[in-house]
Amino acid sequence: MLIELIDVFISGLTNGSVYALMAVGLTLVYGVSKAFNFAYGSFFSMGGYLAWLLLVGLGLMGGYVIIFIIAIPVLLAVGYGVERAIVAPLRKRSDWEVKVMMITLGLALLLDNAYQVGFGARMKSLPTMVEGAMIMGDVVLSYQDMVIFVLSIGGIVCFRWILNNTRIGMAVRAVAQNPAGAQIVGIPKDVIFGATFAISTVMVGVGGILLSQKYFVSPTGGWDILVKSWVITAFGGMGSIRGSLYAAFILGMLEAFVGWIFGMTWVLFAMFGVLLIILAVRPQGLLGKWG
Amino acid sequence: MLTVTNLDAYYGQFHVLKNVSIDVREGEVAVMLGPNGHGKSTLLKAICGLAERVAGTIKYEGREITGMPAEKLVNQGVIYIAENRELFPHMTVLENLKLGAYSKNARQHEKRNLEKVFRLFPRLAERRRQLASTMSGGEARMLAIARGLMSNADFLCVDEPSLGLQPNLRIEVFNIIQEVNRQGKTILLVEQNIPQITEMADKLYVLEEGRITFQGDRSEALSNDHLKEIFLGM
Repeated sequence: MLIELIDVFISGLTNGSVYALMAVGLTLVYGVSKAFNFAYGSFFSMGGYLAWLLLVGLGLMGGYVIIFIIAIPVLLAVGYGVERAIVAPLRKRSDWEVKVMMITLGLALLLDNAYQVGFGARMKSLPTMVEGAMIMGDVVLSYQDMVIFVLSIGGIVCFRWILNNTRIGMAVRAVAQNPAGAQIVGIPKDVIFGATFAISTVMVGVGGILLSQKYFVSPTGGWDILVKSWVITAFGGMGSIRGSLYAAFILGMLEAFVGWIFGMTWVLFAMFGVLLIILAVRPQGLLGKWG
Repeated sequence: MLTVTNLDAYYGQFHVLKNVSIDVREGEVAVMLGPNGHGKSTLLKAICGLAERVAGTIKYEGREITGMPAEKLVNQGVIYIAENRELFPHMTVLENLKLGAYSKNARQHEKRNLEKVFRLFPRLAERRRQLASTMSGGEARMLAIARGLMSNADFLCVDEPSLGLQPNLRIEVFNIIQEVNRQGKTILLVEQNIPQITEMADKLYVLEEGRITFQGDRSEALSNDHLKEIFLGM
């Protein structure tokens, strides 16, 4: 019983860390540019398929290190390109927030169908990143989970550090707090919008690689991720990075324990239940601010 | 230094500025007076690349800058200083100032300008770790001016620096602006009817219903009865 509890806890911690990485990416774009990206889940699948294509499809040697070296620039370019091509032109129009939702929703459908045509409808599994486990008595801690946890948390820590300590990070925060003020001091806000979208694409794409090698990739697998990232972001407070972090671990744990006790079908049900309760008590989310 | 010729500006459906021409020479303090909502701020925003739609020509040091976006303009040497709405509320005083020096030309002078600004505003030096959002109205106004100076721009467009301040703070802000001018900055100042304003102006303009209805130097302004009565409250 205790051992099982520990296993469930570890699973919650690992998934929570990846959810945190992905929710931070979603909230970053929302916080900086007020755009809501519905294609977020499809970028998750893109990460998974990219890894599958390189590792299995092309049979590339060098393992996951090479995958990350190739995938990160590709995801950056895709994110930046998508922002410039379909999001930026809408920004000058009225009701652009709704239009951005519509166009990214369209992109999501397009991408998911493209995956289905290109890779087939069946799930694809990836080779595991690292084999083996650390065994402490009855507790088994797989290296895979440890790597996932370390990479996700490392990614978030890196991101936080860049945001708080570098000139470009300061520029990103400036645009988030006051776009007109940022423009006045000479920050090119359109470039910052593009860059944050690109970084968020990397975060969710890397999340896709990390989780896909634990589970699998499928053409519509991103929707679950979109919903979860959205729930975490709303739960933590739209635009609050720290809020997303807490919310990701709370919901990661919730998922693990609800899945263990009641079965996986109840996970989303429980997540939305908790979200409803928190929003009834605190409509701005855990750490969100009004407006 | 800055010449605006036949400028028209629009705000949505509204034709806000009609055929406005002004000329500000190096080292001057030019003051733009006028009732609220008649286009003073729009003129400053049009110059600084923040207006929606403009027609006409704006030249700075002989170069055409019409319609140039604000983020490029600051590198040319023109900066917009707003009351205090354009600060970064959740950042410290120091971070706000550092961001003021974001543009390429300002970056290399960041250290020197920061020292200068702290000498000019000792209170900001004391409060460098305080969040901008927790500052009083007067302090925030100082910070806005200080951040503008960090840009190393030579031409400052200052938008109603006295708005919402009590009289003694207004005078403090005006003194600072005069000091900045003495240190070599050219200033285009938009203000409401403040009696003290003529003392610091080398040149005055009045903007009513989108048109320039008066222009002249201090003595001309003081001898103009209409102007005295309406705007200077004398």
